[in-house]
Amino acid sequence: MAIYNREAFLDHLSEKLGTPRHQKDKEPFTHINQLPEETLADLSADELLEMARNTSEALKVTFKVTSKADLGGVLDAYLTDKGDGQLILPTAPDKIKAYGLDDWTAAASNQRTVKYWDPKADRATNLATAQDSAMAIGFGDYMLAESGTITVPSSPGQGRAFNFLPTHYLCIVKRSNILPRSTQATKLYAQRLKSGELKTSNINYISGPSNSGDIEMVLIVGVHGPLDMTYIVVDDM
Amino acid sequence: MGIATSDKPLLARVKESEQDKFMQASVAKAQDAQHTKREDSRALLGNWEEWRELGEQIRQRAIAYLPDYLEEFSNNVDKNGGDVFFADTEADAVDYIQKIVKETGAKKLVKSKSMVTTEIDMDKQLLALNKGLALMETDLAEFILQKDNWDEPTHIVFPTLHKNRDQVREIFMKLGYEGDNDPEHLARFARKYLREYFLQADLGVTGCNFAVADTGMINLVTNEGNADLTMAIPKTQIVVMGMERIVPTMADAEVLDNLLCRSAVGQKLTSYVTFAGQQVAGETDGPENFHVVIVDNRRSEALGTQFQSILQCIRCGACINVCPVYRHIGGHGYGSIYPGPIGAVLSPILGGYEKFGELPYASSLCGACTETCPVKIPLHKLLIQHRMVYTDRLKMQGGLNNFMMEVIGIGTGFPFLFRSAIRFGRPGLRTMAHKTDRLTALNFIKDEPLVDKGPGLVGGWADVRDLPIPPKHKESFRSWFADHKQQQKLAQAQKDNSSDK
Ligand code: SF4
Repeated sequence: MAIYNREAFLDHLSEKLGTPRHQKDKEPFTHINQLPEETLADLSADELLEMARNTSEALKVTFKVTSKADLGGVLDAYLTDKGDGQLILPTAPDKIKAYGLDDWTAAASNQRTVKYWDPKADRATNLATAQDSAMAIGFGDYMLAESGTITVPSSPGQGRAFNFLPTHYLCIVKRSNILPRSTQATKLYAQRLKSGELKTSNINYISGPSNSGDIEMVLIVGVHGPLDMTYIVVDDM
Repeated sequence: MGIATSDKPLLARVKESEQDKFMQASVAKAQDAQHTKREDSRALLGNWEEWRELGEQIRQRAIAYLPDYLEEFSNNVDKNGGDVFFADTEADAVDYIQKIVKETGAKKLVKSKSMVTTEIDMDKQLLALNKGLALMETDLAEFILQKDNWDEPTHIVFPTLHKNRDQVREIFMKLGYEGDNDPEHLARFARKYLREYFLQADLGVTGCNFAVADTGMINLVTNEGNADLTMAIPKTQIVVMGMERIVPTMADAEVLDNLLCRSAVGQKLTSYVTFAGQQVAGETDGPENFHVVIVDNRRSEALGTQFQSILQCIRCGACINVCPVYRHIGGHGYGSIYPGPIGAVLSPILGGYEKFGELPYASSLCGACTETCPVKIPLHKLLIQHRMVYTDRLKMQGGLNNFMMEVIGIGTGFPFLFRSAIRFGRPGLRTMAHKTDRLTALNFIKDEPLVDKGPGLVGGWADVRDLPIPPKHKESFRSWFADHKQQQKLAQAQKDNSSDK
């Protein structure tokens, strides 16, 4: 759109620094060490899963591993546990199919009100749907073993507020997408954004439920975002 | 008021802070709790020194090529459909933000925590300029401060460290809260209160931990989720960032996020680490209008000078959490929104020596801040540099010695603080010590290293004589003296007993 007051501002900085502008590409930048890439890089798939479980549970996340065939049953049990209330799902037909959830989504709507984050609806409608939903079941890209994190880019079918407004949040991730650390996920996102394969304005790395220590440093779980989090790892994907 | 939080002189502020026993106890508790969490999380990561070197390298690179990276970032924001405004001063920044408020006809503004908006006094100025505008701080701590008649923050990471649960309850009762003082109940009330407001918000203002040059996205590191709601719900978002927040790539931001989370709160990653920017086609929430205001506000005074490294700061607050002077005088004692060692270095640059020139003297110069800084800013050396500039440039030498001794008294005059300084001083000074063949009383007996170069008082002292590193806490003179006194008392008591017989 527009950039204001830039040239004089940057010239002033350049003068203060005592170096001319437009120099950085002449001096390529490489990291002094490879610790981000090397740390935890040698863990096996089983070790990554175990680490992810431990770190997630330490964050008070409910962590479950299931097969694609049993996924629907696990989701049913989750919904029963959370009680009544509206469920919001993403509009993601490809993912719902890939996880074998076509029949499950149809059946779920017979049990309770199921709404979708709708790419064709306007902002207010989607926000109201998310706000009115007690539960959200969404899809994550990656899980980070070191920090008990799931990563979720916004998309037309699963917007930003989908991950924040509902009271209870469940995220489904493939076991083959468990990565050691945020380093690997960030590298993948940078590549996918650069190549144009991923078009998103927002990438969330979410590690457990929202929390705060602002009152006397007492840890309070559940502040503005979801009050609780559940991660489901699909073992055979 | 900009970065100043008080008009009173330093010594008066310190006297006031000394009366606040709850604050002192809270700060001590927070420092101790954070110490364990921070050090454990760093130890678990491993190779902490090498991670610090990497963090330092990334920040030094960003600052050395600041104009180039800011240019790249602004080009990318522009390409993505956003607007960028470069603000020389706080007035320029507020004028631009006010222009957006007017243009969008915003009625309800939500804000997430941002030190730079506090620095430019944005909230109060916008409220004064727009009678119909409602503005809400949504970070729990900032919300408490706002509703307590805009009380000032006392820490850059834990702004309400000076408030107890009863005070928070009283503040919330004015908003309709009827429950007890349980922090969880208080937080649930804030959640409900703010959620209703969030859903009507039409303008969101956030800060930015890092701005990523090669994507035009910003990177935010938070725990509560309010920053993400601020970026999701309103149609318009304004990001206000200090110009030094820039990093070259997402990979660089990710390294710093890891250092920041561990150093600030002892977490591997906070609950929400987000990369975000202008809404893309097909998305229904997020900002349709995305503005970034890049603020200088005297930061450029540090460029090309001995203070340039302070712009590496990632605002983790670790230096505050290890500082014995902060432990004693708390945030309000500094009189700046940036307290502790980072504040004592940054405030004279942003606010001038006339107002903040004495802050660099409010230090026990133990070096613990330098030792803990995740991006290796030599904080204690910068404090010395400030003292030199203050002395030389302002030609205040005559009055300074008396004044200096009084302020140094802050660091050494209180028994507790002096004990703290000694306790922190051993690890601090150990970094400057080395083994020597020269014999002194101490290293002759104990083969201890010596300090012969050091900051400030230490430097002056070590210029003329070798300074042994402080003894371990339990062996220090004061500890010895206390023990000795105790033994004397016991001996006297025994003597008295036997003479009674
Ligand atoms: S100076 Fe270093 S330790 Fe202090 S807040 Fe900044 S980055 Fe953290």
